[in-house]
Amino acid sequence: MTSRAPEETFANAVLAADSLPDFRAVVLQPVAPAYRPYAVTAAVLGWLVPLGAVLIAWAAAAAGLVPAALGALAPVGFGALLVIAMINAVFAAVDARRRAWALREHDLIYRSGVLWRRSVIVPFARIQHVETVSGPLERRFGLTRLKCFTAGGSGGDLTVAGLDLETARRVRQFLLERIRDGEDDGAAVSGPHEAPNGADD
Amino acid sequence: MPTTDPSDAWQRLPPIALVFLVVRALQKFVRENLVVFLGAGAGVAFVERLGVREVLLGASLVVLIVVAGAIIYHRRFRFLVEDDAVRVRRGVLERKELRVRFSRVQNVQLGEPLYLRPFGLVQFSLETPGAAEREVELPGIPRRLAEEIRDRIVGARAAAGAAATPGDEQAEPAAGSSARDIGSPPALLHAPGRVRVFVHGLSSNQVWVVAGVVLYVLDLVFRQTADSLAMTQLVSWLEAQFSAGWSTLLPLVGAVLAGLLAAGGSAALLRFHPYRLHDHGERLVGSGGLLERREQTLRRDKLTGAVLQQSPVGRLLGCWVLAGLQTRSDGRGGDVGQHSFLVPGLRAEDLGLVGLLYPGAAVPARFEPIHPRYRSWWLVRGFLVVTGLLGLLLATSGREHGAVLPLTLLLVLLPPLVWLRWRHWGWWLDRTVIWVRRGLFGQRLEAFELAQVQQVQLRSSPYLRRHGLVRLVLVLPQGLVQLPFLSEDRAAALANQALFAAETARRHRV
Repeated sequence: MTSRAPEETFANAVLAADSLPDFRAVVLQPVAPAYRPYAVTAAVLGWLVPLGAVLIAWAAAAAGLVPAALGALAPVGFGALLVIAMINAVFAAVDARRRAWALREHDLIYRSGVLWRRSVIVPFARIQHVETVSGPLERRFGLTRLKCFTAGGSGGDLTVAGLDLETARRVRQFLLERIRDGEDDGAAVSGPHEAPNGADD
Repeated sequence: MPTTDPSDAWQRLPPIALVFLVVRALQKFVRENLVVFLGAGAGVAFVERLGVREVLLGASLVVLIVVAGAIIYHRRFRFLVEDDAVRVRRGVLERKELRVRFSRVQNVQLGEPLYLRPFGLVQFSLETPGAAEREVELPGIPRRLAEEIRDRIVGARAAAGAAATPGDEQAEPAAGSSARDIGSPPALLHAPGRVRVFVHGLSSNQVWVVAGVVLYVLDLVFRQTADSLAMTQLVSWLEAQFSAGWSTLLPLVGAVLAGLLAAGGSAALLRFHPYRLHDHGERLVGSGGLLERREQTLRRDKLTGAVLQQSPVGRLLGCWVLAGLQTRSDGRGGDVGQHSFLVPGLRAEDLGLVGLLYPGAAVPARFEPIHPRYRSWWLVRGFLVVTGLLGLLLATSGREHGAVLPLTLLLVLLPPLVWLRWRHWGWWLDRTVIWVRRGLFGQRLEAFELAQVQQVQLRSSPYLRRHGLVRLVLVLPQGLVQLPFLSEDRAAALANQALFAAETARRHRV
């Protein structure tokens, strides 16, 4: 039988689980304050189209272009849609408050979700490339998304939403340096780095 | 070897490769359009409307287009084997040129279809971690050339080790190198006999998929020819059998079942027999196949996990299948499919083979169960959904509706089914290798090193949080592995261990 030398050396170094650093002990940094108004605006904008459609139907019914029954239903529909849009906006605001992130020495942590919550931890050594993306609305609020790609298909992508431009730039730069360091060393482990965590900002 | 020669030049495929290209293009066309054609009886309506002559004309046109496409593809196809890479130029409408470094290749396959055998030609293909499908295919190249490329690919690491380039993946330490690499003969790891391979075929799920397709096609043919004399006679014969009771019906059903199983077993024999798995140190080689001889070469250092699988029939027959897992860009590397590195025909006593394929992995004697709340969660929701459906059906259609009986049966079977599913969920951490088991009637045991973890996710719903539970998701190069209903502390401990392993491993990105 053959052996896999590096892994076997590594295997001897396994520590007791309770002596390992616990990701739960990390104090996470909330996303940029501008993310909340952005999320609420985006949630409301998404409902403008159906609301507009109902308004048009209402106007058309008033003008006699469509059956009057439809016109009678329009206020009910408009009210229902408005309530849904408002709930959605409140939900987006709560969701924005729950979103948080942190950089540790060797990984990136991102927490999101209100009812269905998710914490994702990506080791720097596993990130293949990083990119920042921002839509027109995000740019208006001075926000950007940071996308980290790892192996494992689409399930292996992490999107950190709600970073301000400067933080996203610094994190991206930091991650790229860590990826390069890892490759230069031929190993994932490298010396301690100054983490550009939001807390330093 | 042309590549070491200074007169390196782009090479073309031999004319016989055209046969392969046409056959493959037709297969692809049929595979991609069969569902559309058969779906919802559209094909039947189409044939009825146009008539047989028009359909045949259309089919001829399709064949013509496919053949013309294959000819253009063949004429334009060029490849060049360099010292450390292979380059390919191809494409019909869009020209594509790609260069694949040998150090990136994770497995190589040599196929020898019947029609290429007399010419001493083989079909060569390779896969890299970035591609969902085979990245390079060279159909109909001389066996000697294919073997030389294969040996270069496998030797790429050793060669790279001497001239280690910083930052290059080739600088990885040569894992798995042993005395066997230096001239000693390869070790035979597994050689199942004819019977084992046949049993593998019996237990393969493919038999039932094929049976489903055959039944569907038969149904369509039946509808088309229902009025013809032969079909009327067949129907009356079948009706006679049904009315004669179980005594004549049972042998008939038995014969159909036996025929299906025999077909499955024979298909496995055709594909695998005489199967041999050899350990060449840095690479594993699986070979076999009666009509098309296939040889799969897997680079050991590119293995990201192993899976042992047993279908429900396989469980009855005591038959396992082992597969090596590798990186897939579509995250579906965990699926054991036609192109996987499959080791067929394992018995319970052969399971130690997993440790030879994936060093460090030994099937654990026991598994840690997931939380029992998994059962109550599924039971309550299952009952609610099924009784809801049942109530709706009874209220609208009455007891006569065809779905009432199956739904009632499902209601009765729900508790044992949920219990069985829960019992199969389990995990075990053996030093650095973690095993995850799941299944219902069959079972699947996946093993991977914690250091392979690319990302750790902890997901929770309000229900799970109320009971202090989470779903742990480990993203691996081959795809996602999930462990539902773990206690928060247990999941966090596993997550911390996985992160520690991934962050301290001296292993490069895949």
